[in-house]
Amino acid sequence: MSSLTLSGIKKRFGKVDVIRGVDLEVEDGEFVVFVGPSGCGKSTLLRMIAGLEDITSGELRIGERVMNEVQPARRGVAMVFQSYALYPHLTVRDNMGFGLKVRGVKPEERASRIAAAAAILKLDALLERFPRELSGGQRQRVAIGRAIVGEPDVFLFDEPLSNLDAELRVHMRSEIAALHQRLGNTMIYVTHDQIEAMTLADKIVVLRDGIVEQVGTPHELYRRPRNLFVAQFIGSPKMNVVPLADVELPPGLVAPANAVSIGMRPEHLAITNPGSGIVSGRVAIAEYTGASSLLHVELDSGAICLVVHQGDEPQAGKRIDLRIDTGNLHSFGADGTACGPPTGHPRS
Amino acid sequence: MGQPATMAARAQRNDAPWLTLKMREAMEAWLFLSPTLAGFLIFFVAPLVAVLGYSLTEWNLLSQQATFVGLANYDDALMRNADFWHVARNSAVFALGLVPLNMALALLLALALSGRFRGVVVFRTIFFAPVVTSAAAWAIVWKFQLQGEAGFINQVLAGIGITGPNWLREPNWAMAAVIVTRVIKMVGLNMILYIAALQAIPRDYDAAARLEGASGLQIFRMITWPLLGPTTLVIMVITTIGSFKVFDHIYLMTGGGPENGTLVLAFYIYQQGFEFFNVGYASALAMIMFVIVMALTVVQLALRRKDT
Amino acid sequence: MDALTPRRLRLINQICWTLALCVAAIPFLFPFIWMVSSGLKSANEIFGSPSIVPRAWQWQNFVEVFSYQPFARQYFNSLYIALTVTAATLLVSSLAGYALARLRFAGSALIGLFLVSALMVPEEVTILPNFFMMRRVGFIDSHWPLILLPVFGPQGIMATFLMRQYFMAVPRELEEAGKMDGLSRFGVWWRIAVPLSRPALAAVAIITFLNSWNLFLEPLIFVSSLEKFTLPLALSNFTDPYGAPLWHLQLAATTLAVVPILIVYVIAQRQIVESFALSGVKG
Repeated sequence: MSSLTLSGIKKRFGKVDVIRGVDLEVEDGEFVVFVGPSGCGKSTLLRMIAGLEDITSGELRIGERVMNEVQPARRGVAMVFQSYALYPHLTVRDNMGFGLKVRGVKPEERASRIAAAAAILKLDALLERFPRELSGGQRQRVAIGRAIVGEPDVFLFDEPLSNLDAELRVHMRSEIAALHQRLGNTMIYVTHDQIEAMTLADKIVVLRDGIVEQVGTPHELYRRPRNLFVAQFIGSPKMNVVPLADVELPPGLVAPANAVSIGMRPEHLAITNPGSGIVSGRVAIAEYTGASSLLHVELDSGAICLVVHQGDEPQAGKRIDLRIDTGNLHSFGADGTACGPPTGHPRS
Repeated sequence: MGQPATMAARAQRNDAPWLTLKMREAMEAWLFLSPTLAGFLIFFVAPLVAVLGYSLTEWNLLSQQATFVGLANYDDALMRNADFWHVARNSAVFALGLVPLNMALALLLALALSGRFRGVVVFRTIFFAPVVTSAAAWAIVWKFQLQGEAGFINQVLAGIGITGPNWLREPNWAMAAVIVTRVIKMVGLNMILYIAALQAIPRDYDAAARLEGASGLQIFRMITWPLLGPTTLVIMVITTIGSFKVFDHIYLMTGGGPENGTLVLAFYIYQQGFEFFNVGYASALAMIMFVIVMALTVVQLALRRKDT
Repeated sequence: MDALTPRRLRLINQICWTLALCVAAIPFLFPFIWMVSSGLKSANEIFGSPSIVPRAWQWQNFVEVFSYQPFARQYFNSLYIALTVTAATLLVSSLAGYALARLRFAGSALIGLFLVSALMVPEEVTILPNFFMMRRVGFIDSHWPLILLPVFGPQGIMATFLMRQYFMAVPRELEEAGKMDGLSRFGVWWRIAVPLSRPALAAVAIITFLNSWNLFLEPLIFVSSLEKFTLPLALSNFTDPYGAPLWHLQLAATTLAVVPILIVYVIAQRQIVESFALSGVKG
């Protein structure tokens, strides 16, 4: 088990800068998730940690060692690939034991480690099968098992759940979380799915265009996003951002001087009495989803504001007013950076 | 994890930090390529340079050693020696006979055999069988069948009242015989390339065109043939260049004769180099062949680029 | 006229096509039949009648073939040379093809281009210098040129590009998993890329073997003693003292050379045809 330090990491493919300077500390035993839209460089960053891509500049340490030029297998890391990358010509047992064999681990030791991993992952009955004879979820577990038997210091996961169907994804997500609790290793996990990030991570790293936008716990990212991008990337449905002018702040409350827009999460908005809301508009569409309804409210300025509404949904076309707890307001400057919530003492 | 950091501890000993990952990869690449590159330099690049050098020398049985004569060999071949143009004409006739015949027959067979019906595999197997047969065997059997009066072909012709020519002893008939038997030997290869291309055409096109009332011929002309374009181009180039390489077939069937009627460029190079030991002149011929083939390749690349 | 339903029409159409194909197949199939039947005829009967079935079956032709010249030895030469060339080509071309497909290094595109340029050049262009080179190192009248030239010539380079094409389709993550598991580059190639490329290896093996088996120009130039001959050279060598062909022996020998290949071809027809299709698309 060990910590990781990335300082000034850059990656350039030809003339394209894919990673443009990343600094990051990962503590021993931490579960870190890299999240961001496709093309943000999250997978490249993970592959640089694994040693599958070389580092153009900057320094990568795992534990105390500088790992920039160390071969992948000698970094003490194991990787679970998006496609699982199981060897099609080997059985489950041989897939899991392959790395041990290559490293010269004795057969008895190998057998016991495979047995232990198989027990953890409930693969005992499948050991003699070939990958093509397994379901998606089973393949996923074999891929994890292959990583476990090597007893790595750090686990790397590259979008491991993206090839599974929705139901299985939720299930495997919880299994990975349980695995982390059980093993306690450092784990780095790449995903484009912010829900996976929120549910699994001790620490989330939001990336965009090769740059870290924000690092923090799921709570921090949700409550105090540092900028518009993070604010809208984390949380679903995504945060409403409306021009400051469209918002009628409660009396006594003042937006920060440089704020130009106000952010409000759909789940924080609620219908209130006419005339007392922070914004008002007309219900354009009401989507009933079972537990709640998602209202598309067209503000007077023309902007659309999403609202998660509990209870009977209002008729489309109806005018409504929306309120929000002032603690849940976000404000952003012209360059997109967050400038703190509106301050003051609202008069009730 | 019982033993912390076991892997890292073991790894520390041989990090080899003096070799970056990038350098390591490049080194491995050169290592993997080294046999091929060495062979390429020794058996292709060096000989190509050498043949250029030889072609500028007078080197034959009389001189026994090479003396520099500049472009005299080229001058000899292209300007003075009527043999060369005779050979060039033969090569052109051979190519112009072989390529269209081969391609037309290949396409026809492919159209007949691209579908699924009983016996299709048997037919494909038969039409492709000469491709896997050695040119030597093929030439021997055909030479046997094409003999004067006693040959099987002429006996069959006699049976229906036709007196066949002495196929391999009359220049024009010999050329025709060599072309046709070569086509029969090699057409299977182009046939399977066409079949592969035909089978890659989505069936929807055909169905859609039929729904619109197109006839079979119209479908071929307006859909199939244009879609086969890239394949046709590739086949044309392969077959044309291949036709310049034909040696064994002609060597065994006619020996270049009669009256040099089937003497083509590849054969002429062999004859000048290894039978008459005119190394300088043969090398000039080899360079001319090289230029012709390169020119054909460049034309192909240009056509392909225009195509896409 | 109600008999001409579309179904019937299609059947008639089908029969016409099949008949046409049968006629077209004659010049493809007949030489083989004629070869076998004439190889079983006596020297006299061979020009007597165009009957397919021999009047007197001359099985001793097939015995005489072996006493006329060292045909068994020549047969063996062809076999072992073809096998050697195949094995060497598989090794050399799959190593180089892998480097071109997967490894990133400065100049890889340029090297690919260089190699491609050699693909199109006929052996006749470089055969003279190669002859002098082989003579200098004492390889004349040996089998070395028949092994070295095909392995490193256009044949080998075509095999390299065939392998490259196939290696590029092997999932990259599988190889990376191998790397993470501690394999060296050579290990990744040998234990992951190669086992997963069996179809391409088979195609290369089939085409290379046949090419070597059928090679003619190189044996003609480099080999002179009878016991070093390969089959294609030996076949036309059954002649009387004046150089006229002894047809019954030539055809018996040709039968012995061709029929085993044809049997393998008929058994593995699909695989062999696909191999050629694969290599042809590349060219």
